Amino acid sequence: MNVLGIGTVFAGGIGIKNFEEAMVSGWQTPIDVEAKWAIRGKHPVYQANLDDVPDKTILKKIRRADRLSKMAVLCAADAIKDSGIGNINGEKVGIIVATAFGAHVTTFGFLDNILDFGETAVSPTIFSNSVHNAAASYVSSTLDIKGPTLTITQFRFSFQLALQLAVTWLQQQRCDYVLAGAVDQLGDVLCYIADRKLTTARDGRIRPFVFKPTCQVPGEGAIFYILGREKREKTYCTVQSVMINDSTSQGAGTDVTIIDADGMLPDESAYLACADSGTMLAAYSPLFGTMMTGSAFNVAAGALMLNKQRYYPNPVQDNPRGLRILTDSGPAHIASIECVGYDCHSTRAAVRLIAI
Amino acid sequence: MGAISAAGNDISETLDSFLKVKRNAGPVTLFPTKLAYPVFEVKNLPPDYHLDGQRTLSLALIAVDQALADAGLDDLSGLRVGVCMGTTVASQLNDLQFYTSYRERGDAPMVPVDRFLKGNLAEVISRRHKTRGPALTVVNACSSGTDAIGVALSWLRSGLCDIVLAGGADELNHVPYCGFGSLGIVNPGLCTPFDRDRKGLNLGEGAGVVVLEKTTAARKRGRSSDLVLLGYGSSSDAYHLTAPSPDGIGLKISLRNVLDEAGIKPVEVCFVNAHGTGTNDNDLVEGNALAGMFGNDLKMLSTKGYTGHTLGAAGGLEAVFTALGLREGWIPPSAGFSTRDDSISLAPVREKTLVNGHYAISTSLAFGGNNAALVIGRGVRA
Repeated sequence: MNVLGIGTVFAGGIGIKNFEEAMVSGWQTPIDVEAKWAIRGKHPVYQANLDDVPDKTILKKIRRADRLSKMAVLCAADAIKDSGIGNINGEKVGIIVATAFGAHVTTFGFLDNILDFGETAVSPTIFSNSVHNAAASYVSSTLDIKGPTLTITQFRFSFQLALQLAVTWLQQQRCDYVLAGAVDQLGDVLCYIADRKLTTARDGRIRPFVFKPTCQVPGEGAIFYILGREKREKTYCTVQSVMINDSTSQGAGTDVTIIDADGMLPDESAYLACADSGTMLAAYSPLFGTMMTGSAFNVAAGALMLNKQRYYPNPVQDNPRGLRILTDSGPAHIASIECVGYDCHSTRAAVRLIAI
Repeated sequence: MGAISAAGNDISETLDSFLKVKRNAGPVTLFPTKLAYPVFEVKNLPPDYHLDGQRTLSLALIAVDQALADAGLDDLSGLRVGVCMGTTVASQLNDLQFYTSYRERGDAPMVPVDRFLKGNLAEVISRRHKTRGPALTVVNACSSGTDAIGVALSWLRSGLCDIVLAGGADELNHVPYCGFGSLGIVNPGLCTPFDRDRKGLNLGEGAGVVVLEKTTAARKRGRSSDLVLLGYGSSSDAYHLTAPSPDGIGLKISLRNVLDEAGIKPVEVCFVNAHGTGTNDNDLVEGNALAGMFGNDLKMLSTKGYTGHTLGAAGGLEAVFTALGLREGWIPPSAGFSTRDDSISLAPVREKTLVNGHYAISTSLAFGGNNAALVIGRGVRA
């Protein structure tokens, strides 16, 4: 399965060029947003800015959609545009949307409706947008895609499972292309939960190589991939395998390992195993924030490295154990990259990418 | 197979309800409400399965245990087993008490949050049974259960696993109860799918699970089944968030794809267990799409007159009911139907009907424009 196009919406802007620029520029301070529960009344977040969209046509089409759906549609359209393929629509294109928390902000908005106005005066529009697959539905209708359309949720491994399913759909000829990606949204309640259950980095710096104690900065965004069997002129890389809870995959022979460490777990020492194989380590969560579906962004970083044959430095390089981490930008000869994530049960997921 | 719904807490009770056309609906007892729409609640949940604040998970575990027992699988260790479950309610942190506390005080207990974070259906089932294979929760609204079974089929064909526990589960929950009410598609009486005078759906709850196993793997442990999952078709209308495309384009594509995948012709299908919610739009579009594909003489029913609309569980339950129809050789009357709608070219069966054939279809149409269909076969090779 090949990566033919990538679309992004994140704190650094919209589009894969902005993502690459963020990787080159390095860490940027997150913004502070107000929260009544936060110490000093504010807390740091990596928030996408949808006002940056140069062409508002799509947003006009989906003006009744919520923020989650808007991020998903903008990102999916961006992925198609990036692929340069003109006919990504119709019955043979599948959609797989991975999300950890779905439209939780809209769901809480609907609960506000119930509490404020009573059971009989709630808004059908808010309810409709709160359903988990609303974002996928907007992607389908806005982009006229009529293939299998699925929304899945598996917290930390939602995106890896989406990729794994995309492989089967393509292998089994169910689709010619699959538009697969992840989307998750910031929200006051989830930020509160994250702050209570984890440690927030008050200076806004996620330190992926500290491992313990960890600190988090909530992020949001969407990232979609155009995946296909064919290789085209603009093919980023090949997804060689997606392994979840598979002990045969331990990163052997990989040039670079990108880890999903982002402060989501209080102890991320499991990632130390990735250093054992001697590969260079990278982690880009400080660019987009702490997200259950952050692996989707790290895979994009890997795809860019393979496509450009270039190293991108780690945005935050605190490295108390002296591990081999990427510190500089520059040309490279990279044959394979493994993107590794762990969940709270120390289950490992690995997406292995290889150069074209 | 395992099934629990208002129609019965297991398959035997369900078949009895079908035979006697029992419609076990009533007022909501699970949460306080001023709304008076009748619902199909599961009664007498076995105490061993009670999980505080996780009713969907309880229902799912009951159906899974029934299905495993039916399949003769009491120990999954050492087997490559996947878990794919559809749901809607279990995927959302929509605890009103938690949220009320947060809203009023800017602080709330983490117990409901922990329940939610530890309550992912597929993950819990996978960990409970120590399975070694993919675990995935599908949240595709009302087609979630059908799609979960379709994903399972893809996994088996790709070699990711040898066995998959697949289906759907959902509890009756206050939030969608209000939400569906706001959409104006809930019947103040009992639902009457495909009837001329239909007034909307009733919500229900339950879980339906199938154990899918590769023939070769089943043979190795000395088991066989004459029921076979032959195909999965899925398509999106690309039309509207809440309304089906009037021309039924997505459902037609799904049906065409599922027949192609199963390698059968429409004439070989002996009955269709339709989505049939009892809403004006769904039944009109679905009935006419089915008539266009299979002809006006198709034997067709909706089982939602027995279970209500169980949302994420519906596809799982109805796959089980479809398989039961093939196994038993009969389908029950489409409960609630009495008067033919002249705008629909097809009417559901009014009485217990014998079915004599090898193939049947279960369809699901979902919020968001998803359409999904399964072909189940009996006495045929996979």
